[in-house]
Amino acid sequence: MSEPAASAPFSDDGFSPAAVGKALYLLAVVLFVMTPLVATVLGGFKSLGELRTNPFGLPSVWEWSNYADILLSRRYWQLLGNSFAIATLTVVLTLICASMAAFVFAHLHFFGRDMLLNYLTMGLLFPAATAILPMFIKVRDLGLLDSHMGVVLPQVAFALAMSILLLRRFFKDLPTELLEAALVDGCSYPKFFRYVTLPLSRPILATVGTITFVHSWNAYLIPLVMLNSDSLYPWPLGIMVYQGEYSTEWHLILAFITLTILPTIILFLFAQKHIVAGLTAGAVKG
Amino acid sequence: MAALAGRRVADVGKLSTILLFLPPALLLFTLFVVLPVGEAAWYSGFNWNGFGKPTNWIGLDNYRFVFDNRAFGTAFKNNLLIIVVSLVIQLPLALSLAIILADRFRGSVALRMVFFLPYILAEIATGLIFSFVYDGDYGLLAAIYKSFGAEAPHLLASPQTAFAAILVVVVWKYFGFHMMLFIAALQTIDRSMLEAARIDGASRWQSLRYVVIPSLAPTIRLSVFFAIVGSLQLFDLVMPLTRGGPSDSSHTMVSFLYTFGITRMRVGFGSAVGVILFLICVVFAFTYKRWIMRDE
Amino acid sequence: MARFKGLLVSAVALAFSAGAAVAQTTVKWLHIEANPVVVKLWEEVARDFEAKNPGVKVEMQYLENEAYKAKAPTLLQSRDRPHVIYSWAGGVLKSQVEAGVLEDITPAMQGYKDNLSASAVDAFTVDGKIYGVPYGVSQVGFMGNKDLLAKAGVDAGKIVTYDDLLDAVKKLKAAGITPLAVGGADKWPVHFYWTNLAMRLGGKAAIQAALKGQDGGFEGETFQKSGELFKQLVDLQPFQNGFLGFKSQQAIGHFGDGKAAMLLAISSFYHTQKVFAVDKVGIPDDKLAWINFPTVPGGKGQPSDTLGGINGWLVTKGAPKEAVAFLKHFVSAEPQKRLAAGNFIVPVYKGAEAGLGSAFMRNIAQNIANSTYHQNFYDQDLGPSVGRVVNDATTEIAAGTMTPKQAAKAIQDAFRQGN
Repeated sequence: MSEPAASAPFSDDGFSPAAVGKALYLLAVVLFVMTPLVATVLGGFKSLGELRTNPFGLPSVWEWSNYADILLSRRYWQLLGNSFAIATLTVVLTLICASMAAFVFAHLHFFGRDMLLNYLTMGLLFPAATAILPMFIKVRDLGLLDSHMGVVLPQVAFALAMSILLLRRFFKDLPTELLEAALVDGCSYPKFFRYVTLPLSRPILATVGTITFVHSWNAYLIPLVMLNSDSLYPWPLGIMVYQGEYSTEWHLILAFITLTILPTIILFLFAQKHIVAGLTAGAVKG
Repeated sequence: MAALAGRRVADVGKLSTILLFLPPALLLFTLFVVLPVGEAAWYSGFNWNGFGKPTNWIGLDNYRFVFDNRAFGTAFKNNLLIIVVSLVIQLPLALSLAIILADRFRGSVALRMVFFLPYILAEIATGLIFSFVYDGDYGLLAAIYKSFGAEAPHLLASPQTAFAAILVVVVWKYFGFHMMLFIAALQTIDRSMLEAARIDGASRWQSLRYVVIPSLAPTIRLSVFFAIVGSLQLFDLVMPLTRGGPSDSSHTMVSFLYTFGITRMRVGFGSAVGVILFLICVVFAFTYKRWIMRDE
Repeated sequence: MARFKGLLVSAVALAFSAGAAVAQTTVKWLHIEANPVVVKLWEEVARDFEAKNPGVKVEMQYLENEAYKAKAPTLLQSRDRPHVIYSWAGGVLKSQVEAGVLEDITPAMQGYKDNLSASAVDAFTVDGKIYGVPYGVSQVGFMGNKDLLAKAGVDAGKIVTYDDLLDAVKKLKAAGITPLAVGGADKWPVHFYWTNLAMRLGGKAAIQAALKGQDGGFEGETFQKSGELFKQLVDLQPFQNGFLGFKSQQAIGHFGDGKAAMLLAISSFYHTQKVFAVDKVGIPDDKLAWINFPTVPGGKGQPSDTLGGINGWLVTKGAPKEAVAFLKHFVSAEPQKRLAAGNFIVPVYKGAEAGLGSAFMRNIAQNIANSTYHQNFYDQDLGPSVGRVVNDATTEIAAGTMTPKQAAKAIQDAFRQGN
C-alpha cells in the first residue's frame, strides 16, 4: 500500500511502445464497459425521435421531464421502498441467524459440530433455482405467497452458508483469551456474544451485511415466483413490467433504468471497500 | 474448586447457548433449502400441476420428457458455451487487466472500480441496457450499422445470433469480478521472487510466464470454478434480453426450468429439471474440489 | 401440517376480509389490456360502479399479456389472488376449475345471463356451472393494407384459397414489400396459421377426433398436413426481418406503420394497430381490408367456420360477492355499447352489437353470428400445457428448426403427457 506510485512490478512503465499499447488496451476496455452505461443515462434525457437518430451523443434538447416524471411518480418510490424493505429485512435476519450460528461453530466444541457445519455449507453447492418449485409450494403452504416474508425467508436461507463461513472465520481470529477470561468472570456465552463478539466484529458484519443487501436488492427469480401484487414488487420486477408497458418507448425505459441503478451505484461509491472485500473475500480464502 | 464449579456452569451455559443459537439458522436452512431439494426429487416422479396433492405417479417419465425436449438440449449446450467463453475470452481478459492494474499508477484504482462496476449492477438492469444496445431500431449497434449505410441486424431476434449476443453481455458483466480476484491474489505475491527473476535476467514476459502465472494457479482454478457455477445459475440476464427465445434458442438450464416448469406449473417436470441441475452442480463441485483444487 | 397451517391462515384471512366488508370492500381486478383508450373507458365504468355502491372500491392491476400467462398458474395459488381475472375460456379455464381456484357464480348469473349471447356464456360454463362473465368475441383473419397490396397487383377480395395467398405472397415479395407481419417472440401469433389450416383441412370433426385420441391424434394426417401447408408459406420467407424477435404488439405496430402488407390478426387488432403505430393513426378504414382465412381445396372445413376468441372475466375462489356485482355492471348494456361504438370489441351483451361504429367491425360481428363452427384459440382450448406446446412447435416450424412431422409429434406427445 505504501509503495511509490511509479512502481510497477508486474508490467511495464514509462513511455515505451508497450506502455502505449497498454494504454490503448485499457482505453478499449473502458469504452466497452462505459459506452452502454453512458448511453443509457444520456438516452433518458432524449426524446424518442432524437434517440433514434442520435443514440450516442449528448442530447440536443435536454428532456428533464423524462426523469422528473418518474421521480415524481408514486410507482418509482414504491418499488424502491419495497426493495429496501425486503433487502433490509433479509440483511437483519441473515446477520442475526448467521452470527449466532457462526459463534457456536467458532467457540463451542460439541459432538457433531463439523457435521452440522458441513450440512449448512452445503448451500454453497447449488443455486436456489434447483429447488424453486418445491420452495414455491412450501411458501404457499405456509401462507406466505405474495408477501415480503415469502421472499425474505428463502433469501436468508440461501445467504446463510456463505455468511456463516465468513463470520466464523472472523470470530475464530478474535483473541480467545478474552472469552476464557470472561467465562471465568461468570459471563455467559450469550452475554459475551452480545457485548464482546458483536461489537468487535463490526467490519465483518458490515461486509456480510453489504453483500447480502446487494444480492437481495438485485434479486429477481425468488420475488418473481413468490409475489403477485404490484404494490409489493421490488424494482427488478417493477422495471420489467414497466418495460412491458412502454415496450418501444426507449427514452422512458432508459430513464427508468438509470434511476433504478442509481441507488446501487451510490451504495457502491460509499461502501466500495465492503462490497469488493465481501464479494471477493469468500472467494480468495475459500 | 471454584474453577471447577465455573467450568460446570460454563458447560450448562454451553448447551443452552447451542440450543438457543443454532436452531434459527438450522431451521431456516432445512425448511427452505434442504427440504425443497428432497421434495424436488419426490415431486419429479409425478405429473402434477401443483394444486392439491401429487397423486399421478409416473416414475422417471419426467426425466425422459426433459431429455426428449429439444430446448433442454439447447439450454445445456448454451450453459457449456458460457463456460467456454468464460475460459477463452473472459479469463484472459480479466487476467491481463489484473496484471496491468495490480500496479499502482495514477488512475489504476479508478479503473479497477470502473471494470468492477458492471458486476454489482443487477442482471435485470444489465439485460435491459443491452436489449437497448442490441435493439434493431433504436439501439447503439443499429446506429453504428446505419452510419455505414448498412441495415441493422436484429441480433436478439435471430436464433443464430441471440445467444452469442447474450455471451457478450456475460463477459461485460462478469470479467471485472474475476479481475478483482486476480488483483487480490497478485497483491499477495512475494515481490522478492520477481526481483530475483529480474536480477537473473528474465524478461518481463518470462517473469510473467514463469513466476506470476504459476503463483496465480490457485486463483485461476478458483476463477474457473466461479465461472462454471455462475454459468449453471444464469437466469436473470436471459429474461430481459430474450426470455429464452427466439424459438427457444437462448435458454439456459434455469430459464428452461422457469419457462417450461414454473410458468406452466408442471411441478414434476420442473422438479426433474431442478434435480438434474442439482446433480450437475454437486457432482461438479466434488470432482472439481477433488481433482483440480486438491493442492489446497 | 404445513398445509393445515396454510389453510388456517387463509381461513383467518378470509374471516378478516369478510369482517372488513362492512366498512370497505376492495375488488382486485387483474387485466391485460394494453390499449390506453380502452383502459380509460374501463376506469370510468369502475368509478361509476363505485359511485353506485358506496364502500366498494375497484382496484385495477395491469400485467402484460405474456407476463400474465406466465404468472397465472402461480398467481392463482396465492391466498391474496386478485378477485377478477382475464380468461380466454377453453381448456385453461377447465384446469383452473379442476384446481378449485374459481368461484361458482351460477346463482348470481340467473336472469342476468339471458342478456348475454348464449354461446359465450356456454364457453364459461364447465359441468353445468358458470365460472365467468363473457365480455367480447373475436375472429382471426388477415388484415390487409390495400395500398401495399395494390402496389403488388394483389386484390384482397380475390384471396380465397390458400394458393391465392401463396401467390399474393410471391407477388408482394417480387414487389419488394414485406408480405406478412407476425409477432414470433410471443409464439401464439404463429400458431394461428397452423390452427386455421387444421380447421380448413379437417373441420370440427378433426379436432374432436384428435381430442379423443382417434385418427392418430395431433400426429394424424390433418395436423401433419397443416404443418406442411404452413411450411410452404414459411419457405417463401413471407415475414418481416427478425420476426422471431417481435412481440405481438410490435408486429401489430409494424403493420400499422405500413411496413407489411398483411397481418394474421385477431379482429380486435383493428383498433390496436392504430394505437401501436408510430403516428397513432395506423391504417385508416378505407385502406384496411379483412380477408377470411383462405380455404384449402378438398378441405372438410366450411368457409364459414371461424377461429376466434371468447374472452371474459373469472371470479376467483373467496372473492367478495361484490366482484360478481361489479362484473354484471361492467358487462351491461351501457358499457358494452360504448365499447362497441369505439370498435374495441364485438360485444356479447345482446343488442349492443348494433352500436358497432365501423363497417369493419360490423362485418366481423356478422361473420361470427353466421359462423357454422366457432373454434376457440387452440393454445387456450387445449389447456395450459398442451396449448403452450402448440405455440412452441408451430414457431419452430416458422423458424425452420422443426419439420411439420416433428411438430405434430411434439404436440401429440404433450397431449399424451396431459396436465
